[in-house]
Amino acid sequence: MLQPRPSQEKILEYTTGTMGVSAVPGSGKTWTLSLLAADIIARNVLDLDQEVLIVTLVNSAVDNFTQRIGEFLKQRGLLPHLGYRVRTLHGLAHDIVRERPALVGLDVNFQIVDEREGNRIRTSAAEEWLYQHPNFFDDYLDPDFDEGKRDWVRREKLPRLVDDIAYQFIRTAKDMQLTPQAARERLDDLPIPLPLAEAGVEIYGAYQHSLAYRGAVDFDDLIRLAYQALQLDEDLLARLRHQWPYILEDEAQDSSQVQEKILRLLAQNWVRVGDPNQAIYETFTTAKPELLRDFIREADFPRTLPTSGRSTSSIISLANSLVEWTQSEHHLEAARTALAPPYIQPTSPDDHQANPPDRAEQIHLIEKGYSPKGELKAIAKSLEQWLPDHPEETVAVLVPRNTRAQHLADLLRQADIEPVETLLRSTSQTRKTAGALGNILAYLANPGSANKLASVYRVWRRDAKEGENKEVWEEVKELAQLIRKCSHVEDFLAPGPDQDWLSTLDLEEEQEASLRDFREMVERWLKTILLPIDQMILTLSQDLFTTPMELAIAHKLAVFLRQLSNAHPNWGLPSLTDELAVVARNERRFISFTSDTGFDPEAHKGKVVLTTAHKAKGLEWDRVYVISVNNYNYPSGAAYDQYISERWYVRDNLNLPAETLAQLKAAFSDDVFHWYEEGTASQKARVEYVKERLRLLYVGITRAKKELVITWNKGRRGELQPALAFVALQEDRN
Amino acid sequence: MLQYTTPQLSIIESPFDAKTFLHGPAMTGKTTAGVERISYLIENGVPAGSILILVPQRTLAEPYRQALYHPDLPAGGLVTTLTVGGLARRSLETFWPLISEESGFAQPDLPPTFLTMESAQYYMAHIVRPFMREEGYFETVTIKRNRLYSQIIDNLNKAAVVGFPHTELGERLQSAWVGELAQSRVYADAQDCANAFRDFCLEYNLLDFSLQIELFRDLLWPNPTCRRYLTDTYRHLIADNLEEDVPLTHDLLENWLPDFDSALLIADHEAGYRRFLGADPDSARRLRHVCGKEVEFTTPLVSSPAVQAFNAHLTPAIRRELPPPGLPTLDIDSALSIEIRQYYPEMLTWVADKIRSLVEEGTPPGEIVVLAPFLSDALRFSLRELLIAQGIPSRSHRPSRALREEPTTHALLTLAALAHPQWEITPSQSDVTYALLQAIKGLDLIRARLLTKIIYRATQGKPTLSNFERIRPETQERITYQLGNRYQALRDWLYAYRENDPHPLDHFLSRLFGELLSQPGFGFHTDHDQGEITANLIESVQKFRWAVGKTLEAADVPLGKEYLLMVQDGVIAAQYIKRWGAPPDDAVFMAPAYTFLMNNHPVTYQFWLNAGARGWYERIYQPLTHPYILSRDWEQGEIWTDANETEVSLERLQRLASGLLRRCREKVYIGISTLSEQGYEQKGLLLQAVNRVLQER
Repeated sequence: MLQPRPSQEKILEYTTGTMGVSAVPGSGKTWTLSLLAADIIARNVLDLDQEVLIVTLVNSAVDNFTQRIGEFLKQRGLLPHLGYRVRTLHGLAHDIVRERPALVGLDVNFQIVDEREGNRIRTSAAEEWLYQHPNFFDDYLDPDFDEGKRDWVRREKLPRLVDDIAYQFIRTAKDMQLTPQAARERLDDLPIPLPLAEAGVEIYGAYQHSLAYRGAVDFDDLIRLAYQALQLDEDLLARLRHQWPYILEDEAQDSSQVQEKILRLLAQNWVRVGDPNQAIYETFTTAKPELLRDFIREADFPRTLPTSGRSTSSIISLANSLVEWTQSEHHLEAARTALAPPYIQPTSPDDHQANPPDRAEQIHLIEKGYSPKGELKAIAKSLEQWLPDHPEETVAVLVPRNTRAQHLADLLRQADIEPVETLLRSTSQTRKTAGALGNILAYLANPGSANKLASVYRVWRRDAKEGENKEVWEEVKELAQLIRKCSHVEDFLAPGPDQDWLSTLDLEEEQEASLRDFREMVERWLKTILLPIDQMILTLSQDLFTTPMELAIAHKLAVFLRQLSNAHPNWGLPSLTDELAVVARNERRFISFTSDTGFDPEAHKGKVVLTTAHKAKGLEWDRVYVISVNNYNYPSGAAYDQYISERWYVRDNLNLPAETLAQLKAAFSDDVFHWYEEGTASQKARVEYVKERLRLLYVGITRAKKELVITWNKGRRGELQPALAFVALQEDRN
Repeated sequence: MLQYTTPQLSIIESPFDAKTFLHGPAMTGKTTAGVERISYLIENGVPAGSILILVPQRTLAEPYRQALYHPDLPAGGLVTTLTVGGLARRSLETFWPLISEESGFAQPDLPPTFLTMESAQYYMAHIVRPFMREEGYFETVTIKRNRLYSQIIDNLNKAAVVGFPHTELGERLQSAWVGELAQSRVYADAQDCANAFRDFCLEYNLLDFSLQIELFRDLLWPNPTCRRYLTDTYRHLIADNLEEDVPLTHDLLENWLPDFDSALLIADHEAGYRRFLGADPDSARRLRHVCGKEVEFTTPLVSSPAVQAFNAHLTPAIRRELPPPGLPTLDIDSALSIEIRQYYPEMLTWVADKIRSLVEEGTPPGEIVVLAPFLSDALRFSLRELLIAQGIPSRSHRPSRALREEPTTHALLTLAALAHPQWEITPSQSDVTYALLQAIKGLDLIRARLLTKIIYRATQGKPTLSNFERIRPETQERITYQLGNRYQALRDWLYAYRENDPHPLDHFLSRLFGELLSQPGFGFHTDHDQGEITANLIESVQKFRWAVGKTLEAADVPLGKEYLLMVQDGVIAAQYIKRWGAPPDDAVFMAPAYTFLMNNHPVTYQFWLNAGARGWYERIYQPLTHPYILSRDWEQGEIWTDANETEVSLERLQRLASGLLRRCREKVYIGISTLSEQGYEQKGLLLQAVNRVLQER
């Protein structure tokens, strides 16, 4: 086993009380925390019904921890899986609520709607509200617009804006533990009306009503209700405190206020680890990196993990100078707290993970301002040159938004470079399994379609795609093309006498056999049409899948679709197929769907990984491109900056979602001096955004191990500037 | 011929005036003695008609029924087997005129309508909906509407069987509540709805279960005529599984017992599995003092010493107590085998393989049971398919699906909608496709869809089907003339029906089945399953018509349309019970653990799946009702806390595990998948307790 570094040793010495750890990127915090969990279990201090509770941010981290702790336990001769529990906040909240659903007004069979279903319900509530209040926002529109333009904005733009407002209002209200009724009563009591908050409450009420009708809660409700349950029942709290005598929390910089409150109630011995400099989920949540900083300061044992063997010393000093510049030179006083020490320290040369040899010339901060398209072209060209010489190295391009990545992917394909887009939209195995099933269901919903049948053929022979022999796949494609041309599908699948389409073709023996086998298979599948959806999926799966993981995913999908179909008895196959397509695109996050153990950059050597900077967190590559670092994506609070949340058609640069939240908070504030004042919240939101974006840049830079390229573009109209921080880094290096 | 133990014989052959309270753990031969006691009574001249068997639910009378059908039994009158609800209903049917004046009904001179669970739910939905719509009732509670209705009905029933006024429901629930304040309002809402439902029943002469019970208890049983009839008719009583029965039964028996010549009251220890339905084992215990004699059976007759020892060690482990001294030596490897797999389907494959090897070694499949706290359809289906692949027969506790999920009923109701354009229900394209697919023999999915696309339209909210001959010839050819003719016959039949006054829906379905679908060339021809489902649907419609027909008629609502809408809404969810072609008895049984317990049939090997799940011990939470707070011995004013909940959970788990092990002859196999069916990791109390026992090793 690897020997812990001295700073890690100090953390492993922990026995009781509170400990706060500030960890720099690449300092091995997951490893250390897993080892600490295993250590505690091995110390034999836990009763049989007690567990170490590990709380982390995302599902893939749950798997990571579970596996690592399991391995550490095995090394100590103990049974894996016992004595600890790893959860995301949602998973933990689910566990707590499941202890006693009735306590918070839930039926035992309560359903959890995921983000997509929640979005659908909310969007329709927002649309309904807007339909009833078509002129509500007139007062907020740019007064220079004529009636025609106003009308256009009402029609084309407001639905999205109202949905956005509703989204943030509902999340915040839940974070504040407010029910629609409570918010409503409070607003009714106020002497001065708060119209935006009023609108929010009405949509919130309609949304909750729809959820209740379905017997469902959303993810935010889970957290709200978990906290409520712990407050309501002392016995429950006492039991859970007994059950989890140790709580280890990872990524604590992204903890929301309510997460902190829940853990504060539960914790006796509490270790919080995080990097406040990497807090990038603050917008629209109540997470604040300051909370972790405060905790570390006040903890019984404040600790740091400052050493990182990830990057070259030049990259480390670039990251450190961003922290330094922000702290001392950012022109916006309020933004200076965005980043803070500890600075990253390289490891000692004899460390098991020593830093890569320094190559300062491999940091490219490109001064030239490209056009948006030109920037992508330059990146594609750079990659085209770099890849052939580095087949064993890893590389990623960090984009600000998914659409940028799509454009870049197209360009790369034109240059015969197949990018890895997994991080943008999907997790591999779930997507493949759901996709394969989805294709077949889509056909069964429309069995006369030769096109869909051809897709089914490709799915059925999909192994050939990944096989060594490219010709086999070519042949599959040819046969699929042939099926596509079959004008009457029934003549292929259920031919009358003398009408067999197959016998009209001039095929080689093997090809004909393949199509006959296929026909037999599809005939069987067609007969599943009257089965309930879960049985249909399971039957198809038996023919389609062989690996345990595929079968497990299919089983889960079967249960999932059955639940959906119970909740929506009128949904036919097409709607259910749509849902599978959504899973395939991975928009729908399965909570605790643990077949995807996270993304491993090392599995994609010599390939270009496309990702947003947010999704890149926790990962590392040999070479990293951070692109579009301009004052739109990384504003600095300068007068000429533009902000994504300030819609062009709204007067006075108001950020209406932020204004709405400010009204809600004002309604519940006891402080008469903090009454709502229009525009203040929009300004404040700017500062928060500026700070978060600085941290995002820091995250981007610290993903690179050996080489780093940063570029910027001037925007479509050519009016954008390089981000101020970027300019500062350039100056620093010069 | 069964061999009986001496204690059993002393019960069986006890005098004709003996009144005995027989109790003991499961599988000690109590029911066997009870069953044989009846044969003994009859063989020795007691008229069968004077014997009453009282059980909490009908399935528990099965051993008695089997014995009563035994050819060796002398011919004669019939033994009566009843539940307390059945007794109430039967008495009301017979003696209604005696009490109609006092019943509180608005129209006492008219006969009452007995409501089934379904029709009660239907009326409840009608009563609750306006409260929700207009007054915002139940806004804070997250529950499916149908469960909301059923829980209010459940409350009324509990008040009746436990014996307190239904008007106290809300207050009782509220006073024990520790949680969110908004919930108090919900209890008040539930109370209002219960009151409104009761008023409605009284106004329209409707007898739901709770009213049947209350009227029987308060008016009929005290009525000398009725009581004399009952006491004269029944002279000998066997009451089994008293621990699963409600306090009302215990009250009744306490009162009735002196009138019987002989009585055998039987109660299990460590059971009470129907608690959520109002069962009260504590209340049952008081009957021991009313009987002249008390006998306890203690010797387990089923489980092996190793399984008994496992049970003895598991009990303190579940209760989180230290093992008491003097426990039998643990021989865990003989009693238990645990298998861990990463994924759920892998675990199922292991189960199927293991079952195959047991069967190959000579175990009859009927001696194997696969248990889980709940059985998802996916689990049931997957395991059945795996067993079929191994050539092993299996059966499942639930041979049915809800009406709306049954393709046959779906097809029939779609055809009903097509035959009644005046209902203005327009089925979807796929509904019509699937209906044609099933109705027309030989039609395949591709042609069914093609046909539907051409012939089916919804015009001004009304469904229409066009003639086959109006289709273009080349398309006719694609569909084939033979199938086209069959479609045309179906269409002609439906349109001929449309010409005349509509029949009641059940009559319509009978005709549709008899005149068309069961004929050669149509899908239900010679298909027994579909015939059975059709019969079941007709029966459900019939019951619906009897219960609500008049009310609907008065409101001028077509019954058929209302039935369809209610099925769509899930308010009517009748399950059909398979009557023909029952599955082979010698088959692996897959069931929820509680169902297996209530079937009371021991086996050699048990497979416990999802051992980490909470369902093994978790009470069915119901936000509008509560079995413990609404029970008789709940002190009003006490608060229901997490400590109560935990205590109840552990007790439930202990009773369940012990009940299972007592019904296991040789060995338990526990199949664990690290990730559950849903992809969650599960570490429930059962797993923890088993782990504890393993560590004792």
